[in-house]
Amino acid sequence: MHDEPAGRREPRAGAVLAGLATLAYAWWAAGLAPFSLGATVAVVGAGLVAIAAGGRARRPAPRRVTVRQAAPWIVLALAAGAVQLASFVQAPRDDHPTISSLTNALLDSQPARAAALACWLALAVELARR
Amino acid sequence: MTAGLTLAAYAAVVVAAVALEVAARRREAPGFGEVLAAALRIRPVRVALLAGWLWLGWHVFVRVDWQ
Repeated sequence: MHDEPAGRREPRAGAVLAGLATLAYAWWAAGLAPFSLGATVAVVGAGLVAIAAGGRARRPAPRRVTVRQAAPWIVLALAAGAVQLASFVQAPRDDHPTISSLTNALLDSQPARAAALACWLALAVELARR
Repeated sequence: MTAGLTLAAYAAVVVAAVALEVAARRREAPGFGEVLAAALRIRPVRVALLAGWLWLGWHVFVRVDWQ
């Protein structure tokens, strides 16, 4: 009665399949030994594939943004970088946590790592599309 | 105490980002996504941001000694 045209249904099915494949891949990659060549290839390789995929489906050019309009965001990015750098150069780490030392605690389990890795890959696609 | 100060600084950055985004939407000024999209159209910035994103993934998911 209200069948969707095939052209609309296929991209949705493709997106679901891609999402499931990404989750399965992320689960596998999150279980690899840290600091290993295999983990490096699995993570960086998947990131490169995600960037390439996003780059093939670029969004239309955004409206022009002047430096003045972007200034508040640039200042905020510099402030965030300064906080991170100030923590990074100080010790002990427990007193001066960096973003990665905080995320390490959150990503202690394989399910959490797999979910975070899948999100990182999805954001890589989205970044490359812009 | 020092850890608390650092965490407060990170939280302040997050709160400022949310406030900036809300203010941008009210004034129809460019929000984070638009500024990011505009920055990504500048080739050297695009290369640096995408390379930084790859490095972040490697740093967070590979260079960590899981318990």
